[in-house]
Amino acid sequence: MLILELDQSVALVTGGAKGLGFAIATYLAGKGSKVSVVDLDAEAIAALPPSMDGYVLDVTSRADAKTVVNEIIQRHGRIDILVNNAGVIFSEPFVNIMNPKGMMHDYERFRRSITANLDSVFIMTSSVVEKMVTLRTKGVVVSISSISACGNEGQTAYSAAKAGVNAMTRTWSKELGRMGIRCNAVAPGFIDTPSTRSALNESIIKHIQSNTPLRRLGHAEEVAQAVASVITNDFINGVVLDVNGGLTI
Amino acid sequence: MNQRLASLLAEVFGLRQEQIVLTLTKDDVAVWDSLKQMDLVVSLEREFDLVLDIPDIVRMNSVSSIVETLALKGVDLGA
Ligand SMILES: NC(=O)c1ccc[n+]([C@@H]2O[C@H](COP(=O)([O-])OP(=O)(O)OC[C@H]3O[C@@H](n4cnc5c(N)ncnc54)[C@H](O)[C@@H]3O)[C@@H](O)[C@H]2O)c1
Repeated sequence: MLILELDQSVALVTGGAKGLGFAIATYLAGKGSKVSVVDLDAEAIAALPPSMDGYVLDVTSRADAKTVVNEIIQRHGRIDILVNNAGVIFSEPFVNIMNPKGMMHDYERFRRSITANLDSVFIMTSSVVEKMVTLRTKGVVVSISSISACGNEGQTAYSAAKAGVNAMTRTWSKELGRMGIRCNAVAPGFIDTPSTRSALNESIIKHIQSNTPLRRLGHAEEVAQAVASVITNDFINGVVLDVNGGLTI
Repeated sequence: MNQRLASLLAEVFGLRQEQIVLTLTKDDVAVWDSLKQMDLVVSLEREFDLVLDIPDIVRMNSVSSIVETLALKGVDLGA
């Protein structure tokens, strides 16, 4: 396949059983892609529609990632599209002046956030790209970054992880482009998802809306559309596409 | 409420001055987190020319506790 046609593609969406990942998986499946979803949440995997294959997987586990990728390849012959969406939004101030006994950002929580949001992308991409290279698949990797990659106050670990995702995306686009494998990222701003609603209270959401030039939160489908456009345009490589209504932080 | 303090708090918390009342607490102000607390400390120190130490900073979790802390530091906020 020279140009990636979604209706002839095999896609793997991580963290695709809920939230943005589910919207992305649904969008791709709606365009005819054969979609496999991996997610930690077994209940949500069991509830996936029949148009998607589901696998329970912790994307921070290298051995389990390889096993599941092998299973998908056995079933479909190849993986054309990897969407690295699994991640955990995490906030903790670097200095918490209100807590003198534990004033500084906890290091263990820093490491956990980096593992969940950065190592996970490395692990999944290396498992899938190994197969793309071996099978000569001219595939595409799309990683879900975040507006926080610019450095968002109160999000040292999460911002660092997402900035790392952007850097890996650009690096891989240069290394893998010669083999026809493209790597891009999509960086959402504030999207109206259950995770955003539970992380932020109503007045903070209002504040974000009033600072966003489009005066609203984004919709999950708008992120899915952006993912599909960086997949299908065969000359987009090494790009981090902002989907944020014009908001800057 | 002292006008200088009310206007400082309104600025720090993004509220209108009439919303700054003694009974207002950290729980009533969504944006009042540990980062805002640093903004608050720096603004108070600059406005009233004083230095707040950690126990003062931890204590300030309402407008009334801010007023008390400033009084303990010798700031005259009037009646
Ligand atoms: N919602 C937003 O506004 C927003 C904004 C910017 C970036 N993002 C990014 O988008 C992605 C999805 O966010 P969301 O809001 O849909 O979150 P969410 O919590 O609703 O969904 C994340 C999904 O990933 C899964 N997951 C988490 N860790 C996993 C792991 N180790 N292995 C396998 N699955 C795992 C969860 O079970 C869940 O189903 C994340 O990478 C997040 O950082 C979200």
